[in-house]
Formats: sequence, C-alpha cells, structure tokens
Amino acid sequence: MFSALSKYQHAFLIGLQSNLVYRWNFAVRGFFSMFHLAVVFILWGAAYAGVPAIGGFSFGQTLTYFLVMLVLQFFVGAFNEDYQISEEIRNGLINQFLLKPINYFLYRFSIFLAARLVTGTLILLPLLVTLPLLRDYLTLPAELWRIPLGLTAMVLSALIQFSIAYCFGMLTFWFLEIQGFVILSMAIESILGGQMFPLDLLPGWLYRLAQFLPFYYQTYFPAAIFTGRISSLAVVGQGLVIQLGWVLVLLALNQLLWTRGLRRHTAVGG
Amino acid sequence: MTRYLQIWLASARYSIVRTMMFRFDFFLWALVELCWMGVNLLMISVIYEHTQSIAGWSKYEMLLLVGTSLLVQRFLMGFFWSSLFELGRNIRSGYFDFFLAQPGNILFMASTRKLDPDGLLNSFVAMGVVAYAAHRLGLHPSALDLALYALMIFCGLVIHYSMLVISISVAFWITSAQGIEGIYFTLAEFSRLPREAFKGLASLAFVWLLPVVVVSNAPAHTLLHGFQPRWAFALLAAALLWLGAAVTVFHLGLRRYTSASS
Repeated sequence: MFSALSKYQHAFLIGLQSNLVYRWNFAVRGFFSMFHLAVVFILWGAAYAGVPAIGGFSFGQTLTYFLVMLVLQFFVGAFNEDYQISEEIRNGLINQFLLKPINYFLYRFSIFLAARLVTGTLILLPLLVTLPLLRDYLTLPAELWRIPLGLTAMVLSALIQFSIAYCFGMLTFWFLEIQGFVILSMAIESILGGQMFPLDLLPGWLYRLAQFLPFYYQTYFPAAIFTGRISSLAVVGQGLVIQLGWVLVLLALNQLLWTRGLRRHTAVGG
Repeated sequence: MTRYLQIWLASARYSIVRTMMFRFDFFLWALVELCWMGVNLLMISVIYEHTQSIAGWSKYEMLLLVGTSLLVQRFLMGFFWSSLFELGRNIRSGYFDFFLAQPGNILFMASTRKLDPDGLLNSFVAMGVVAYAAHRLGLHPSALDLALYALMIFCGLVIHYSMLVISISVAFWITSAQGIEGIYFTLAEFSRLPREAFKGLASLAFVWLLPVVVVSNAPAHTLLHGFQPRWAFALLAAALLWLGAAVTVFHLGLRRYTSASS
C-alpha cells in the first residue's frame, strides 16, 4: 500500500519541480488574470450603476464571486492536462507506462495536484498586491459550515476538472487533433460553469437544468458555497450528492476510454 | 505590390484546398468560433435581464458594440491568427529559418501564410449581429456612414494585428514564453466594453495608451450617432502608430533570432 503510494509521491515531486520551471509562465498568466478582473469590475460596476442589487446580490458580493472563481480556477482548474496527455499518446510516451506497474490515471493526477499547488500559490501573489484596492468591496458570508463543505466541494471539483481533461486527452486514440474539442468545451464551460456571470442570474428553468450538468460542479458550486450564492444547507447537501455522482460517472468514463483506446493504440515511437 | 497580392492569393488558394481536405476540422472550428460568439452575446442578454443600461448603453446598442468587436476579431482570426500563432512556435523551434529564406518581406510572409476560412465564415455571423442590432434600434445609416464604418473596421483590424504581432514577438526575447498570445485575448476583452464605463486610470490605460476600447467604440458610434471626426482621427492615428510599433518591435526581435534548431 505504502510502496504504491510512494510511486505517486515521486510523480508528485517531479511534477512540482517541472511546474516550478514554468513559474514565470504561470506568474504572467496570474498577472493577466488581474486584467480579467478589471474587465469584470468595469462591466459589472457600470451594470450596477443605479441598481442596488442584481439577482438579489450587491456589487460587492458579485465582485467577491468573480474573485473566488478566479482563485478556484488556479487551485482546481485543469489548464493544459488534456494537451499533455494527448501529446504523450501521440508521441508514444505512454508506451513506457504500459510495461510498468504504474496506473496512468494516478500518475497524471499526481502531476495535476503538483501543478495546482504551484499555480494556486502563484495566483495569491498578484492577489495580495490588488487586495488593498479590492478590500472595501469584498463581502463573504459569516456561516462557518461553508468552509468545510466548500473545501469538500473544491476537492470533488478538482476531480471533475481533471477527469474531463483526461477524457479529452483520451480522444487522441480516435482523433489526431483534440484542440477543437477542447476549445469548444471551454466555451460551454465558460457559460454553464459560471465564468461569464453567476449562474443564478440565468432564467429559472435553465439554472435548474445547469444544476444537473457536470459544468456546474467544475468551479461554480464551491464558489457559490463560499460566497453565499447558495443559501440553504439542504441545497448544498443535494449538490454534493450530484457532484459525487458526476465524479463516479467521469471516473468510469475515464476507465472505459482508456481500455477501449488502448485496443486502437499502435504504440508508435516512445 | 502586385507580386505580394499574387503571393497572398497563392497562400489563400493553398489554405482553401487544405480546408477542403480536412472538412471535419473546418466544421468543428467554425462551430467553436460560433459558440464563443454565442457566449459573449448570451452574457449581454443575461446582464440586461437584470439592468436597463450599462454606462448609458441600451441592450441593442451594446449588442451593436459587441458585434462590432467580434467582427474585427473574426477578421483577425480569419486572415492572420493561424500564421501568427505558428510564428511564435516557429521562433521557439527554429522553423522560422524557412521564412528568412523566402524572397519577400519577412513579416508579410510570416503573417499571410495561412488563411482560416472558418473565421471568415463567422465574420458574416458577426455582421448579422450588427445588422440585427441596427434593425432593432431603427437605424438607417447612409452609404457614406457604412463606408466609414468599414474603414474603421479596417483600422481596428490593423490595431488588433499589431497588438498580436507585438505579443508574439516577445518570443524572440523569451523563448520559453508559451501561451504568450493569451495577452492579446485578455486585452481584447476590453474592446467589448463601452467607452463611458472607463474612468480615471482605466480610461488612461485602455482608451488612450492601449486603443482596445476605441477599436470597437469608434465604428459603433459612427453607426449610432453618425460620423464624428474626433473618433475617426483617433482611430486612424492609433492604427498608424501601432502598425509602426509592431514593425519596429518585430524587426528588433528579428536581430535577436539565433535559430534554435540545426
């Protein structure tokens, strides 16, 4: 058991080192995310002029929502894991894993965790710099139950994000180029994942439909718990059950695509 | 000049033949761009469900602004994106040598190698959005207004192109700078906002220093309120200035190019 864990511990440490090599890339990305926050501030600031509340929330609460979403994306979001997996399949680098007692999913997940530790820490730096400017607007609810439940939802979100990226990576067994699928999925995620606007602003029927889709649980769900956009404990509990269901469905899909994909794999190169 | 037109036509022909060979890719990418435009339009529609105006702009005025911004971006995607995206990769890998050996202006050759018909197809969708918004607003622009609008879109394309060339040229100095073209997309987000929403420091940075806001606001203003020389001259001056800056930065970078491969 422990020897099995130590294998992935090594993968995690190597992932940490290789991600630290690209620390400037992530730092630049983090810095430009602040520009995205500026767009949010200007657009929503203008929308709120003369309107005290939108969807029952103040400007401060909406701004806090976007800030929490941004931090969550750096902590749990899959950045380019799909491309990395796709490259490993295309170049034949996965061949080595087929001959060793290593689970490819766990290997990639260990590296994903290391990468998120680096990107999550790096986003905190520009955030600390902008905090004095944003401090007056930040509004977080006081209930303590939101912290453990939000963190649980965050862990499950990381699993959903990674599993979706892994599924797209697996598509390389069938398609040469997956970039089109990934960017198409990003467009859907940006709407149904709540990156463009808080999902509760959608018409009621669409919001209820979104709650049954995996995109809702990618970042919106933990962000909504932390920022008070979901008010009742019962709704959080129900959401966690659906989220866990999606984790299990996606893990099963990962396994199915891996076994089916390997049947088509011709192991060129490596 | 005629020779460059012939080169460009040859590249365009090659790109169209290539697209016909990979028809699935063409439809997929057309769908990708269509979905991203839909994302922006849906966002506007959802915000206006909850508020009447954004910085004094009504829903359809805002739709006209966003449509204009998308139109400039579709032209950029259709005419230059693939070539410039590959330029960054080629600088890193050393394949850029291939362009240095070609008998023509290097920036021209590197910028026009590939055309994306899917981006150009979606520019008609963006035009449709502008036309729909203009119809809902009851606008009847004259032929002169439309010609000025087209000219301003062209100036906007020059500015966006220049910003992208400058972003990509960073690769001459920092070869490990992958995904640096993301800078352009972040800045382009500002072009979907009305000029009146920018105040203080933001106005100085995004309206005057980086003309991302003027690029979409100036043509939209021309359709909404008729020709305003102030906007037109600001846009023309910005286009010339930014194109000059892009050419300078690209050539400064070129001096540092050492060819990574071979």
